[in-house]
Amino acid sequence: MYALVDCNNFYCSCERVFEPRLANRPVVVLSNNDGCVISRSEEAKALGIKMGAPSFLFADFFKKHHVAVYSSNYTLYGDISNRVMKTIAELVPRFEVYSIDEAFLDLYEFPRHDLAELGKKVKESIIKKTGIPVTLGIAATKTLAKMANKYAKRNRKDTGVFWASNDQLIDEMLASTDVGDIWGIGEQYAKFLKKNKFTTALGLRDAPQEWVRANMTVVGQRLLTELRGMPAIQWQAEEPAKKNICTARGFGELLKTKHEVGEALASYASICADKLRKQKSCARMIEVFAETNPFRREDKQFRRSIRMQLPVATNHTANLIKQAMKALDIIYAEGFNYHKCGIVVMDLVPEDAVQYPLYEQTESAKEKKLLSALDQLNKSLGKDLVRFASQGYSKKWHLKQMKLSPCYTTRIEDILKVKN
Amino acid sequence: MNAHTLPYFTTEVKAGFPSPALDYIEDRIDLNDIFIKHPHATFIVECTGDSMIDAFIPPKAKLIVDRSLNATNGDIVLAIVNGEFTVKYLQKNSIKTKLIPANKKYQDIEMQEGMQMEVWGVVTGIMIDPRDLKTCMRW
Repeated sequence: MYALVDCNNFYCSCERVFEPRLANRPVVVLSNNDGCVISRSEEAKALGIKMGAPSFLFADFFKKHHVAVYSSNYTLYGDISNRVMKTIAELVPRFEVYSIDEAFLDLYEFPRHDLAELGKKVKESIIKKTGIPVTLGIAATKTLAKMANKYAKRNRKDTGVFWASNDQLIDEMLASTDVGDIWGIGEQYAKFLKKNKFTTALGLRDAPQEWVRANMTVVGQRLLTELRGMPAIQWQAEEPAKKNICTARGFGELLKTKHEVGEALASYASICADKLRKQKSCARMIEVFAETNPFRREDKQFRRSIRMQLPVATNHTANLIKQAMKALDIIYAEGFNYHKCGIVVMDLVPEDAVQYPLYEQTESAKEKKLLSALDQLNKSLGKDLVRFASQGYSKKWHLKQMKLSPCYTTRIEDILKVKN
Repeated sequence: MNAHTLPYFTTEVKAGFPSPALDYIEDRIDLNDIFIKHPHATFIVECTGDSMIDAFIPPKAKLIVDRSLNATNGDIVLAIVNGEFTVKYLQKNSIKTKLIPANKKYQDIEMQEGMQMEVWGVVTGIMIDPRDLKTCMRW
């Protein structure tokens, strides 16, 4: 048996933990640069606010309905997520972090008659220790557990736990699930299935074998196996190393000089280098791009990108910045209002498998020491306190975060103040 | 809150003897281990008021708050009363629940109908700069 734990309206719930006045009030959290709605409390959903709603269109609506609006505070959400995962780990040793607010639990070692109780315990323990409400779906495979979770959100609002424990419950769940809502089925595939008269998960599960063999891919058949209650998706206890890492963001305001765009790009390159070092890999290629805002009709439009092979695979901040600046030199053109730039590091190899050309000097032990000192300093003193000069100190390109909450759990100057 | 420092020695054995202490190395005392029993359920908050000065909680005191504990009679708790955080003594028996300040200037808060009262966490530690303690002394 597997369970999927999903934090309810996670970002909104994080804000609520430290702001009791938000209880029962509609809350939304906006994406980077305060662009659009990415998390909604139940009250906000009830007001009809859609996921992805652009915030500037809704400014008046938010005010009229007393919606509490927050910029995304990923520092806070990251720490709370970590606390949630650690709490799960205390109860269920085998689990897999699926996203910032979801985890799959492997329940094979728990006796069947304990599962309902266990589900309840996980849920109660998480809300007690972290303040975050969660929903659990329990079923025979990951695909079914994911579905059971959605089912619980619709039909088990009181307990927040649904266990598809017998054939009747399983069929009921499958019958009430649209094929398009099955984990792993995209829009196109859903259309194809519906054209073939499979509208619900139940219909698809019971599809005739000949039809399946003739019409479904290997991936599709694996999914069907999962729907039929036999696990076919591999367990991934450890996060696989990423194949590409991209850091790209829109600027807080439009930038008009190469110097300013360069500062932003250097910072993004530095973030990529950090991430590379964390997963112990090096990049052999980078892609750099810069662009104007396509929604500003009044501006001349521009977008250009370039891929560059690096002479030696690297995760060194200074090297990556240097290469990114070279790339920017090539693509940058004067006379545009730049809105966004970014860097993708790709073609990654493990750190210890980097091949150095015969006459190229290796990244010396000294440089390695410098970087690990840099990482340590930034870890203990705060993000980006020590950095390469090219990252600059201009604030123009920084994210627009009008309504950012304090980093209650990671910065001592930000801790909750209690007037008592 | 989850930082651990382990003593780590690389002994360069030059001429002479290796350190006789090497076999006896222990972890250095870690305050986190002593004051924080449940790291992922523990939060730090700061007081700004004077309602708890007789409990030696002056303004600017930082409190270690553990959410995993069940509050019992006599605990100092971080509570929510009508949407506001507050720090008080909890008095709790089978009949009623009260939040009690440690400063005569303030009144007890008694749980009443239509009132929202909830314990957020139990205070398990108080960190004070001794200079701030002056406000707690009456002389």
